Amino acid sequence: MREYDVIVVGGGLAGLIAAAGAAGRNKKVLMLTKGAGTLAIGGGSVDLLGYVGEGRPLASPEQGLTELPDTHPYSKIGRAGIQAALDYFKTVCRQEGYEYIGSPEKNYWVPTAAGTLKPTCLIPKTMDTAPLKAAEKIFVAGFHRLKDYYPQIVVQGLAKIPVYAKKEFSVVWLDTGMHEGRDITALEVARWLDTEAGRRSCAEQLKKALPPGAVVIVPPVLGTKPSYAVAEELEKTGGYRLVESTGLPPAIIGLRLRNLWLNFAKKSGVTVVENAAVTGSVVENGRCIAIKTGNLDRERTYRAQSFVLTTGGFFGGGLGSQPGRATEAVFDLPVAAPANPEEWGAPQLFGTRQPFAQIGIVADGRMAPVDAAGQPILSNVFVAGRNLAGYDFSFEKSGNGVAIVTGYQASLSV
Amino acid sequence: MQETTVVVIGGGATGVGVFRDLCMRGVKTVLLEQRDLAYGTSSRFHGLLHSGGRYAVKDAESAKECIEENMILRRVAKHCVEETEGFFVRLPGDPEDFEPKWVAACHQVGINATPLSVAEALRLEPQMTEKALAVYRVPDSAIDGFRLVWQNVMSARKYGGQVRTYTEVVGIEHQNGQVTGVKVRNTLTGQTDSIACDYVVNAAGSWVDQITEMAGIPVNVKPDRGVLIAFNHRFTSRVVNRLRPASDGDIFVPHGSITILGTTSSPADRPDDTVPSAREVMNLLDIGEATFEDVKKYRILRVFAGTRPLYSADPNASGRAASRNFTILDHRKEGLQGLASIVGGKFTTYRLMAEKMADFVCAQLGVKTECRTAQEPLIEEPSAQLVEKAREYFPAYSLERAVSRLGTRLEPVLERMKNSEGKNQLVCECEMVTLAEIEEVSADPTSYSLEDVRRKTRMGMGTCQGAFCGFRSVGTAVLNDLGHGKGAPELLQDFLQARWNGIRPALWANQLREAELMRGIYDGTLNINGAIHDEGI
Repeated sequence: MREYDVIVVGGGLAGLIAAAGAAGRNKKVLMLTKGAGTLAIGGGSVDLLGYVGEGRPLASPEQGLTELPDTHPYSKIGRAGIQAALDYFKTVCRQEGYEYIGSPEKNYWVPTAAGTLKPTCLIPKTMDTAPLKAAEKIFVAGFHRLKDYYPQIVVQGLAKIPVYAKKEFSVVWLDTGMHEGRDITALEVARWLDTEAGRRSCAEQLKKALPPGAVVIVPPVLGTKPSYAVAEELEKTGGYRLVESTGLPPAIIGLRLRNLWLNFAKKSGVTVVENAAVTGSVVENGRCIAIKTGNLDRERTYRAQSFVLTTGGFFGGGLGSQPGRATEAVFDLPVAAPANPEEWGAPQLFGTRQPFAQIGIVADGRMAPVDAAGQPILSNVFVAGRNLAGYDFSFEKSGNGVAIVTGYQASLSV
Repeated sequence: MQETTVVVIGGGATGVGVFRDLCMRGVKTVLLEQRDLAYGTSSRFHGLLHSGGRYAVKDAESAKECIEENMILRRVAKHCVEETEGFFVRLPGDPEDFEPKWVAACHQVGINATPLSVAEALRLEPQMTEKALAVYRVPDSAIDGFRLVWQNVMSARKYGGQVRTYTEVVGIEHQNGQVTGVKVRNTLTGQTDSIACDYVVNAAGSWVDQITEMAGIPVNVKPDRGVLIAFNHRFTSRVVNRLRPASDGDIFVPHGSITILGTTSSPADRPDDTVPSAREVMNLLDIGEATFEDVKKYRILRVFAGTRPLYSADPNASGRAASRNFTILDHRKEGLQGLASIVGGKFTTYRLMAEKMADFVCAQLGVKTECRTAQEPLIEEPSAQLVEKAREYFPAYSLERAVSRLGTRLEPVLERMKNSEGKNQLVCECEMVTLAEIEEVSADPTSYSLEDVRRKTRMGMGTCQGAFCGFRSVGTAVLNDLGHGKGAPELLQDFLQARWNGIRPALWANQLREAELMRGIYDGTLNINGAIHDEGI
């Protein structure tokens, strides 16, 4: 039986960062994954911190970090640790040919499919809002039969926002040629643009509809690969600037990010087992010694020196629940939650922190799970991403940010 | 000022029933509803078309009315009824001596209750508990409250009826002891005006006393709260009742792809006290577990509550002890001519209640036309030719459902598909509602919000609870200016908040998974709550 230095359970962004980070420090790493994580649901922009307090928007995530309670994962890791993680993330992305821009000093306010703006911190170049800032006229492109993206909604929403109100908007319709009763998703449009024929057709349609140099908001569909090739090829046909907005799942930019990091992890020597049904762990004397999986063929045991848990929250499947009780299945770690199920949800869905969103595993600054007295529960187990307690990624806009920062911290702790 | 002969107050089953009946008899009638059609109790019940079995022992008269109306509605409202049949099941601990009493009572009132072996019952409903001791089949059925109300209104309109939703009555106008009209307020715009009429029918259900109080007349109606759970799948193909004296949480009703468990009975402070608590949900599950042992493992879609308008002439009676029979109150007794209230009753007997009420009004107006609601179907069937034509455009699997929702209104929906490529897209994949149908319903003068469209089409009522179709339908709403000044983020917030109200009291297991996903999309990714002044670019 092979023995590993590190086993990462979970293949979302936190798991990928933890695995790649550990492998980069010459650890022999195994990653056990089931499904694709939530990157393809939530998207690929790195939200660091958009709102603090009762919902005060932040021009600079950095300023908000100091206002977070001690229980927040960012507070436990500290400013320097956050910076190191973001630097690592950006370095790898650049090295892999899909550069991210931005820094904790400022938020970008990117347009969304709902016609709102959303604060986010690190973005691919195709989400840069600078061209929008400069343009007097903005085109908004939609695709026929792409039913989860309505350019009219984007126009109607942006026109109400003071900084966009004086700009002229115009809707442009593009056609993938997929007809005959077929409903298409952003993934199909992106795959169409992965093909040469698709790009050629799209470029021709853009040429007909747009003046040279036009600035165009598009759904996040500019190819499935972590590369700017699709955007560059389309842009050069008329000196256009194409700006990708956020949209409903499937989230193509998140898919690109997943592809990038999965490739990078494998390249760095991480062994990846997909579709692993983790059934539990073997613990002796306060240390975990192995992970057990129970796929259809047989039960397997994977041994390692240390472990990182990144199985996600309630949606991701890393946390389970029944009325008034939350659970974690791999290590049976305690999950702090209100005993009264009436207290899990706030009456107002939006505009407030939701108690359920902050339910998770409490960890220390090394990302080791701790008990009520602050003592580590298992000496060689670390936790990252949405498994953690103390933050509400939807309300704060901190999802991928916490995943990267805590995943990186875990890679340093193992 | 609008003038009419009769004003009917209340857009629930009883109100629309009276409205349609009067319109069919040629009486000029306006229907007023304070919110949307079927917003109140008529959509907040388990959707059971009673065989009468539940009332047979205690209230033979109610039971008889139920079985008669049950058979009538299967004919005239066939698109609203799913003929599922029902079981009455006696479980360990249920009083043994109730069984023979119940069998005799069913026989007495003409309910066909046939015993079958437990083994056969389990073959038909394999999820049911093996601990069952006795099982009977009865002609229970499932009925769609939203659709029934909407199809009554569609029919009444064909006979000249006018509907005003989001219109609340703020005053009853009268002179010399005779009603002369009602004063109304549009709840969306705040505008008030008056409608002159000769007669007012108060069919406001749990709100009945609030109307009569405007004329200084007290009516002893007590809102009685019932909590229900809708499950994500159809784990029973039949209505399943406990064979015991009527009690909380012992009826399961299948509806399309879901199952509803209900209900509780507890006095409510207000008629709109419709937010359930987690405690109530867990209690219901505890009771339901006796009949379907795995019920706690099933995913809950949402929970909801409604208030029954329990009427009692005795001010001290309440809850299940009060009569479920309906009563027409002629307020001449209190010295006011031209106002009658209809109180009590149940959804299954709505048509009969409406018939009696309309008879009463017609007698006073000197109208001699007979009631035809027991014979004439609610909606006309579209021609075979039209359905055949529709087959070319509709996604194949959605046509049958569309026909049952739309009747002859299939035609304008089909026109929309013919005129514009892409209108046959499914916006709601769970309930199979096309873009064309949503556009057609959105354009109806009674549609002011996505919630209104949802109640007419079932859009958003399936597995995703609006997480995906909510966004799509907002696109349609924006194009149809359905928002009345509201933008996509506000429309989405309203719609998702309403869905959330039904998920929050059961926030665990798969419901919680879905909630985390939905909030991640709309708050995390789309920031629909983001104030527009938050930041610049």
